[in-house]
Amino acid sequence: MAGSLTVDLVAAAPTAPTRGRLARWALLRLGGIVFVLWAVATVTFFALRLIPGDPAEAVLGGPGSQASAEALAQARADYGLDRPLIEQYGLYLARLATGDLGSSYALREPVASVISTNLGPTLLLAVLSLVVALAIALGLAVWSTRGGRIAVGIGSVLEIVAAAVPHFWLGISLILLFSTLLGWLPPVSVPGPLGLVLPVLTLAIPLAGFLGQVMREALLDALDSPFVLSARARGEGDSGVFWRHALRHAAIPAIGLTGWAFGSLISGAVVVETIFARQGLGRSLLSAVQSRDVPLVLGVVLVVALGYILVTTLTDLADRLVDPRLAKAHL
Amino acid sequence: MNRTLPSLAAAASVVLVLAACSTPTTAGSEPVSGGTLVYASGDAEPTCLDPHVGGNYPQALVATQYLESLVSKNSDGEIIPWLATKWSESDDGLSWDFTLRDDVTFTDGTPLTADAVVANIAHLKDPETGSSTGYLAVQKVSDVTAVDDTTARLTMSSPDSGLLDSLSQPWLAIESPTALERPQDENCESPVGTGPFVVTKWDRQQSISLERNDDYTSPPADAAHEGKAYLKAIEWRFLPDSASRYAALQSGTVDVIDNVQPDTIVASQKEDAIEEIDAPRPGASNRIELNSSKAPFDDARVREAFIRSANVDDSVASLFFGTAKRSYSALSSVEKFGVSEPDLFDYDQDEAASLLDAAGWAEKDADGYRVKDGEVLELDFPVSTNQSIPAEVSLFEQLQSTAKEAGFKVNLKPLDLSSWYGALGENDYDLVSAPYTKVGADVLRILFDSSGTVPAPSGYFANHSQVKDPALDALLEGANATSDADERADLYAQAQEIILGGFYILPLYDQQNHFLLRSDVKGLRAMPTVSTPTLYDTWLAR
Repeated sequence: MAGSLTVDLVAAAPTAPTRGRLARWALLRLGGIVFVLWAVATVTFFALRLIPGDPAEAVLGGPGSQASAEALAQARADYGLDRPLIEQYGLYLARLATGDLGSSYALREPVASVISTNLGPTLLLAVLSLVVALAIALGLAVWSTRGGRIAVGIGSVLEIVAAAVPHFWLGISLILLFSTLLGWLPPVSVPGPLGLVLPVLTLAIPLAGFLGQVMREALLDALDSPFVLSARARGEGDSGVFWRHALRHAAIPAIGLTGWAFGSLISGAVVVETIFARQGLGRSLLSAVQSRDVPLVLGVVLVVALGYILVTTLTDLADRLVDPRLAKAHL
Repeated sequence: MNRTLPSLAAAASVVLVLAACSTPTTAGSEPVSGGTLVYASGDAEPTCLDPHVGGNYPQALVATQYLESLVSKNSDGEIIPWLATKWSESDDGLSWDFTLRDDVTFTDGTPLTADAVVANIAHLKDPETGSSTGYLAVQKVSDVTAVDDTTARLTMSSPDSGLLDSLSQPWLAIESPTALERPQDENCESPVGTGPFVVTKWDRQQSISLERNDDYTSPPADAAHEGKAYLKAIEWRFLPDSASRYAALQSGTVDVIDNVQPDTIVASQKEDAIEEIDAPRPGASNRIELNSSKAPFDDARVREAFIRSANVDDSVASLFFGTAKRSYSALSSVEKFGVSEPDLFDYDQDEAASLLDAAGWAEKDADGYRVKDGEVLELDFPVSTNQSIPAEVSLFEQLQSTAKEAGFKVNLKPLDLSSWYGALGENDYDLVSAPYTKVGADVLRILFDSSGTVPAPSGYFANHSQVKDPALDALLEGANATSDADERADLYAQAQEIILGGFYILPLYDQQNHFLLRSDVKGLRAMPTVSTPTLYDTWLAR
């Protein structure tokens, strides 16, 4: 495997004409990213402002505070909420272009600093969950394809159930089982690795269900395909065929799905961070939406969109590494 | 050797058993100093730890641990000394003198003097502070002066018998004037008071760290001990999910939880290690308000018909499992001027039907809804999902179906808080339920005075029933203007008769406020002011 990877890299090393194409590809990609971010910011901005309600209430404490007229007027003036909507939008974009995300109404802190404190915990949760999900999915796919017809049946039922379970239900069930009943793990996030186990499992299990289904299908397809037959004809043993050839094919759809998986992990993080009271972007986003904290919602949504784009780009590149055909065809 | 080991083990286990038995008995009687208590709040995280800014219940909950007010209340509802040792009202009710304790220092070293009171009221009245609750409470205070170091004089624009009630609330706590001069963001992060604990760190969306104030000298007159608090520190966590909050309490990860739902209270009754505190909030009862400003509820008979058709008792019993007591009053059961009229709220579908017949809604359409001049008897009921507990939403659904029997078509509209305010501001509702927490019966003036029907520029107004009755206004203003307890009781009783007898509201129950705690948490009590728990007397028996 390592040997063939080096060969691919050498094959993909840019020659003069490819370098031009690479530059154009990068430029197009960059333009696309800027366009997507602008569209995300615009849609979110107007969606948040067109639904009824007054963001000035968020400034004054949101639920339960009976804000006086004077206090509201003051808050509106402070945050420029008394100007025409289109003017507010223009001002927001102008500031955004300079990299300024503004200040959160509710947290009274620059959005950039809220995001930088919360990004780490969410990324840690998402990456760990992705790794655990891939491990579970791979384990299940390998076990079930090698275990014969009954194992395939059991595997696919497990995967369907796992994929269908909603995060909030799974989270509470895991808490009931491992904290309340068995007392092994803390029910809410505590510092240290122990506090991460249940949140990671809650996010990883449904994802593993999806990935497992795809990986097993790919594995079974690969095992049936002509190149496996020819490998066998060359005299490779069962496990050689499996680990060296079939698995590599199974990895392609899994990598392709990673971009999508990242999106689903971030939306799952909203639920999981709330249930387990973990610090993170998901929890910030939820409370920001609830209190109409427009700058914070926009900031988090932009960061998530950017992350999504980065991950898709990276998976594209990874696909090219694993599958040299793609690199030659599209670059 | 082989023999000694088992006997050693036996001896050791006897000692252990004895030790285990003796721990609770000694710890049960004498308070122990030290330890960190973990409090898990299900309320929204405050946006500012200074309750002058905005002024909502989540702020009051945590501020009770580090800020103190001029006066407090005891469990009989009487005003008692706190930072002020005594007070006097002038005969015309236009001037109040408060004498302050002379031995109190804020945790930043600033001494408590009359100037601090001047600075705090000025801070509440300053539009830049953005105070809402506190601002409303000091509206009648026109001027504050320091007569001498320990005497502050409040001058009123008109008499306000609710002043002491107002001043007892955490939203009007006295903060260090030195600290108030800092930029607002700084003061929000680390407000400085005279309380038993000090805010040391605030990890947003995680927790607030509080440490004991070792120089503390100013407990309210009804506290159980003097001197500094027993607990060394408090970790104040935010656990928004109700099920994981309870799981955290069961496993001992946290010691106290709030916002406990009825099903959890019932589940906790089977657990020996968990105890409950039921501390209804003061002010108004939870109630459904009937918008009398437009058809069909501009007709008192239709309002009465709706109330007759509502089977509240059975619904409350089935949805709250006996954890909430039915209210027949406009005021919370902790308010001493509250009047209860159970007879007015009997469930009677026949009576509802004949009232609707009499009011001209005699015909019925194919679905069984009442019709008049081709119009269906429809009621819009916006429900704020942020403010309602799940059982309450189910209750509204049950009332929707009992009202249907009488021929009302109730349209429940779940809305987020901002949209809900929007619907109210546009008078786009017939029924609504909104909590209102305030100390004292003067809350009636806020909720039912004609002036409360005029929306602020934000669209917010408090008189959701839109009662406009000059006689009621006069009674409420009169009660607010006199400090004579008997006269106040009489005026408030007459006012409540108009409110309840006019079928402007359907009372449900007190504003629910349940806490669960580990049974080794001792000495926790809810303040008789706004029912926030105070951890000053609390200690850990472990």
